[in-house]
Amino acid sequence: MIKYVIFFLIVLLNYKYAFSRNIGETEITTEDGIEVFQEEKYYLLKKNVEIVSDEFELNGNLVKIFFEKDLYDIKELIASTDVNFKSIEYNIKGKGETFKFNIQNEEINVTGEKSELFLETTEMFSDGSITVNNLAGSFSIEGSNSKLISEDILITGFIINGVLVNDNGAREISNLEVQDENILTIITEDTEMFSKKAFYDREKSIIELFDSVTIKRGSEIITGDYGILDTNRNSYKVSSNNSNKVKVIISNTK
Amino acid sequence: MNFLLSLNKKIFLIVSFIFIFFILFIFSLNFFESNDNSENKFYINKKTSDISEPKFSINSKKQKISVTANEGNFLTEDEIILEKNVIFKSNKFKIYTDNVVFNKKTLVASSKDESKFISDNTSIDSAGFDIIENGNIINFKGKTKLVLK
Repeated sequence: MIKYVIFFLIVLLNYKYAFSRNIGETEITTEDGIEVFQEEKYYLLKKNVEIVSDEFELNGNLVKIFFEKDLYDIKELIASTDVNFKSIEYNIKGKGETFKFNIQNEEINVTGEKSELFLETTEMFSDGSITVNNLAGSFSIEGSNSKLISEDILITGFIINGVLVNDNGAREISNLEVQDENILTIITEDTEMFSKKAFYDREKSIIELFDSVTIKRGSEIITGDYGILDTNRNSYKVSSNNSNKVKVIISNTK
Repeated sequence: MNFLLSLNKKIFLIVSFIFIFFILFIFSLNFFESNDNSENKFYINKKTSDISEPKFSINSKKQKISVTANEGNFLTEDEIILEKNVIFKSNKFKIYTDNVVFNKKTLVASSKDESKFISDNTSIDSAGFDIIENGNIINFKGKTKLVLK
């Protein structure tokens, strides 16, 4: 008898999916209605908004959608208050206080405290804003507690700008520019780097560090005004504006 | 063995019968409830309507929305209630509903009944709507579902 109950429970629980949206359709549900502004060409979706399409899913409390000619002809989407989104097709997900998606420019922007954007294997966090432009292949993380975690690198800084390149179907970081008036951090498998400004060039396999530079590797700590790390050779050099100022500390860890 | 193949045919038929009976029972309950509502509406409509098949339009600079219904009754000097098969039609969309209060002075139309908006590749189902600013703003109220194709 239990088997039959389970069988009919399965049928009952899947009942609603039989009447759900068709392939290619976008279904939007709201608790508190939709306001359509025809001349201004946008509509407001209010309270517990859920957007489900083949490529994209979004939840938020207030969503403003700008359209070109008709309601389906979407130009830009701005969602606010507890926004969660994901796209399995583009391997992207995130959350934040505000989410903007410009369809024409293929640009995603997440703002607010504890903003998150996960793009394939790259994880971006910030209390300010995170922007990814798919057409230009660029990203920008700006604000306090900004952080980027990739497969083999962790970066913190106030501004993290970068370029993504498509490498065998996967997007990988090609160039990086990191700035922090206090101190930025770059942590690789065996090296910790600190400075006020840094550049990473994947093609040249180098990380350049400027101002208040500290490089830690094992028991070695080297400080100076400029540092360069060769990621291929895994070697580094630190220099100073005043050639006598480079400081090396080798501590005995045994 | 496959789970479905292991089900006993007789018991399966009996449980299926109970299941179908249960579904039919729920549907018939819904049917009688909606019948009750329509009966109430019927009593209201039994009286002769003030306007038979009213037809007018809401005009703005950019669009003209024509409004039709089966019946219309004056609520006040400025307010008309449009009943049965009320349709708002412009060159861009159509809205179908059953009860709309229209203010001929402010040109505001308001409905608290289930409404369906249909436009190119778009449909909206809502629990009512307001049309304000000569049709520039349409406010779909309550739980709303928008489908874009």
